[in-house]
Amino acid sequence: MSNSHLFMKSGFPRAPLQNGLGRYVCQLQRITLKFCKNNGSSRGMRDFIENHLVDFAKENPGIVVYVKPRRHRTPVLVGEYLNGDREWLNCRNNTQEEISKWIDLLKTQNGSSSSLRLRKMWHTDVPSIQGPWTPFLLRSPETQGQVYPNTEASKPLETPQSATEKLIELFRQQQLEAGEEAHDLLSKKRAE
Amino acid sequence: MSFLAQTMRQVLRQVPSRTAALAGGMRSLSISPAFLQQNKPATESVDISAISKDQQKECSNICERINQQVAKSEQGRLFAVVHLCGKQFKITPGDIILVEGYWPPTIGDEISLDKVLLAGARDFTLVGRPILEPGLVSVKATVVEKTLTHTKTHFRKKRRKQYMRINFQRSPNTMIRINSIELARPVDGNSEAEVEPSKRLF
Repeated sequence: MSNSHLFMKSGFPRAPLQNGLGRYVCQLQRITLKFCKNNGSSRGMRDFIENHLVDFAKENPGIVVYVKPRRHRTPVLVGEYLNGDREWLNCRNNTQEEISKWIDLLKTQNGSSSSLRLRKMWHTDVPSIQGPWTPFLLRSPETQGQVYPNTEASKPLETPQSATEKLIELFRQQQLEAGEEAHDLLSKKRAE
Repeated sequence: MSFLAQTMRQVLRQVPSRTAALAGGMRSLSISPAFLQQNKPATESVDISAISKDQQKECSNICERINQQVAKSEQGRLFAVVHLCGKQFKITPGDIILVEGYWPPTIGDEISLDKVLLAGARDFTLVGRPILEPGLVSVKATVVEKTLTHTKTHFRKKRRKQYMRINFQRSPNTMIRINSIELARPVDGNSEAEVEPSKRLF
């Protein structure tokens, strides 16, 4: 993967004019199909115009469709959007299916999107409802008034038992047992 | 390693009093969180008799307060965490989210996002396990745009091997506008047990 897209113009997801909040408005205004009547590179375009163009225009009454024949030139699709964008597509040697796919893309997008790198997949006007998180959120009130440096707070949470401590503990236990034995002996003698 | 972990887990389950000490000893292996998370008994239904009366009372009290607030429509703006196409989004009405990759809905479609993991307002939060029961929160959205990303260059080369490939790719993107998030019916702490689990969500 090359990194050339890093120097591309970048942005955040936006929809024009609160589109979709109340109702959805198709953003494609005009579409122009330019083609040649006898060149082979326009064959797919001619097929599309013969078979599907009328259906497309009927299904989408909000889109103005222009058809422009011109001699010995490659077929071209041009879409014009409500925000003033104009997208130009070369359709040389494309088949009928490819052209209908490209037209579908022109119809469904909001403007020419090919030159924008998205930095986020999310946009919001209200970033936080319960308040933004801070490090002091849901902490005990004792931590608020502490004075640093604090020996209690700067200790590790869990210190493993050292060998010396273990030895001392063993010694204590021994002493205790010995003491118990002595205690037992004493009690026995007392009983006697 | 997995065998060891399993035996350890059994030991832990049999000797609950020593769990803390053992977990402390195993912390260096950094798998103790997994121990604590795994092998929890799967609770299909909430055992209400096990919960003490005080907790039940508190729970119903909280639910009632939430319902009162919603009935007076004082809850303000709601937000939700939804699961959509393998990703989780934190959304509130008016947001725009993008779904990457092929996704069938087209422009102008009004859809409802059913996998709600969490819903909340200023004063309360409903947390799902893992998702809230279907029909409790209704999230409505409109598909606004379907487009392609910018052209990404996929270039690979091996040095001194006469190997070089360059590919260009554009993947589809779908932009969705969140229209509304609403609590469809009153919150009830006990109703979780009554839901039949087999309902398809997407």
